[in-house]
Amino acid sequence: MATLQITNLTKSFPAHSKGGQPTRAIQGISFEMSGQVFVSLVGPSGCGKSTLLNIVSGVDTPSSGTVAVTQDSQKAKLGYVFQDPRLLPWRTVMQNMLYVTDLSEEEGRVNARRYLEMVGLDHAEDMFPGQLSGGMQQRVGIARAFSVDPDLLLMDEPFSHLDAITARSLREELQSMWNATKKTVLFVTHDVMEAVQLSDRIITLAHGGTVFDDVAVDLPFPRKASDPDFATHQAEILARFETMEAERAEKAG
Amino acid sequence: MILDQFTLPGPVKVWQAIWEILKSGAFFDDFQISITKTFMGFGIAALFGVPIGFLMGRTGYWKAFFHDGVVGAGSVPGIVYAIMALVIFGIGFQGPVLAVGLISMPFIALNVAEGIEGVDQDLVRMSSAYGRNERQVLRHVTAPSILPFVFAGVRLSFAIAWKVEALTEVFGSSNGVGFQIRFAFQGFSITRVLAWTLMFIFVLLVIERILAVLERRLFRWRTWEQAA
Amino acid sequence: MSTAATLDRPRLRRNPVVRALLSTWGARLTSYVAFLVAWQLLAWYVDRVPEPWETFDFIWREISGGSHGGVRPGEFWEHFSATLGRFSIGLSIGFVVGTVLGIALGSSMFLRALLSDMLLVLLALPAIIWAFLTTMWFGLGWEAPVYTVILSAAPFVAVNVAQGVRSVSPDLHRMSEAYGVPRNRRMRSLLLPAVTGYLFTGLRFGVIISWNAVLLAEWFGAVDGVGWRARLWYDAARYRGFLGWAIIFIAFIFLLDGLVLSPLQRRAFRWRKSAAADVETEGLGGFDAEELSTMGL
Repeated sequence: MATLQITNLTKSFPAHSKGGQPTRAIQGISFEMSGQVFVSLVGPSGCGKSTLLNIVSGVDTPSSGTVAVTQDSQKAKLGYVFQDPRLLPWRTVMQNMLYVTDLSEEEGRVNARRYLEMVGLDHAEDMFPGQLSGGMQQRVGIARAFSVDPDLLLMDEPFSHLDAITARSLREELQSMWNATKKTVLFVTHDVMEAVQLSDRIITLAHGGTVFDDVAVDLPFPRKASDPDFATHQAEILARFETMEAERAEKAG
Repeated sequence: MILDQFTLPGPVKVWQAIWEILKSGAFFDDFQISITKTFMGFGIAALFGVPIGFLMGRTGYWKAFFHDGVVGAGSVPGIVYAIMALVIFGIGFQGPVLAVGLISMPFIALNVAEGIEGVDQDLVRMSSAYGRNERQVLRHVTAPSILPFVFAGVRLSFAIAWKVEALTEVFGSSNGVGFQIRFAFQGFSITRVLAWTLMFIFVLLVIERILAVLERRLFRWRTWEQAA
Repeated sequence: MSTAATLDRPRLRRNPVVRALLSTWGARLTSYVAFLVAWQLLAWYVDRVPEPWETFDFIWREISGGSHGGVRPGEFWEHFSATLGRFSIGLSIGFVVGTVLGIALGSSMFLRALLSDMLLVLLALPAIIWAFLTTMWFGLGWEAPVYTVILSAAPFVAVNVAQGVRSVSPDLHRMSEAYGVPRNRRMRSLLLPAVTGYLFTGLRFGVIISWNAVLLAEWFGAVDGVGWRARLWYDAARYRGFLGWAIIFIAFIFLLDGLVLSPLQRRAFRWRKSAAADVETEGLGGFDAEELSTMGL
């Protein structure tokens, strides 16, 4: 379990052409999260959520402001699940799992099998990614992220490229894995319903990279979409989302 | 110019000549020598071609530096290589080996360069997100990415390499297929020239097929990847 | 593709000489200089290898008709034009034959099944064999080089043209049939534009193969021409003469390909972005991976 602290973060990208305006992807974001929490970042495209994730993971650097990811005052270990599975196509599933870990071969295998079982793919450990469906590949990606025992787990719209049915079952799997392993999760999505189902806190970003909303979701896990409470919460959050969109349209128009 | 029996021997005559050559064991001796030289030449081509291709794929400077040389090396007529090999090395195995190396190196270098440029950056980013160091990325991401290209380079350049090898032997060897062909030419025996030629072609096609099968097996994951 | 961090020191990087050296043109120039240096070193190390200077001196004398100190004065145009003539005639005939064959193969499955094996064999036949055979058949003269060129080039042209014909998507064929488009219009508007690009590739390869073939054939079976002249010097153990002629020979094809054929082909392939990229990555003798794999049938 880790602590993530973001203070006054901004990020600008240089202009595409001479004389153009630099792109202000993030304009001042601050928030904090720690412990066994599942936090979703929701927002329309262009709100900077993927950029934020890149900065937190260290792939990108902020233009100003600070990002601190700590685990007991030390640098935290990160796990990352991408939109596409990003498996090495020339290695088997097991070899892919072993690639990201620093454990010995034996320990690594035992560890990998444990997580592959959680996603129901222990039988596939000697198969190549090309032989698996998109959903199965993504499950391997999730298992891989969990297997390094990260303090902070970053997930960038991991289900957006899957069909609805597969996505739904993967969401359930993710939820049970999270319950079982107590990780700090930062989850990016554009799907409000997905956020309501999975998280206990939803941070909404507005277009242009500012925090619009920060709301707790007080439903017990596991959550069912058929639950009326679920529907109420979801309607509330969607309403606030729509307000934000309306405000933005006003400003633009 | 009438094509009569003397100018174009019939298939029966040629087949008999082939049979003679096979029986005498000359086929195995000479072809073994020639094939060995060809693959030694490939070894040299890979030895230089892979690093050069690697540099070309990574930096604009090296791409510009090597480009003309690499393209030029692949464009020199085989006969020029054959003669220069003869001039420098005299009659020996080094000439054909070097000629093959020089003419195949461009294929390998250019294919490696293309492979490097085609390395999936998403996989590289994934590797750094998981804290993999440069050596690990090289071994698990870059190298497997370019290996299919290298192999394709070898397979495709084989036909040309094989021909250049034989040509170099025609000019300056005392053994091998090329030597036998020149010998037959100097003896004015069209039959034997044809016999050795047909065997030469047969070996070419067989080896190409073997390489193609090998390539498919080594890179099984590619077919799945492309189908997916 | 990442750019290596060559010089971190900003002062050096701003120096105009350094920047020129590190530019694309600087790199190319450096490579030529490096090549000449390597050549010179090789010439010093190996006795029989001619030095760059004496080779270029030879080329100059040969072209300008100057004397070579008693061996034979330069007779450049006489030989070059002889070779050029044989090359042109052989290439034209080979190209026509190859195109006809290619169209036939591309359009008819029956012919393809019948002839593809033979075509494979013809492709695999080294030009030297044709040079030998034609010399044995026709003796010394112009015939051997011309026929060698035809026989070497035609199969390659045929394969490329066949590929071009087959590349016209069957959907377009069916569409034009459904609309009842008459045969010749179909040929003109559907087949020909698609095939033109491949025709050019075939032409380009045909040119290179023909040029190399004519040199080879003249070496063994001619009494004049570039190949014959190169052999003359070689037989006299005057290797600078051989190398000089080889350089003249290579330079010509570089110029022809670079200044005439490549630009023409790029224009012909304008509508196919990927194919144009293939053209650029490969040089003269080089075959693109995809092209060769289909050529290998």
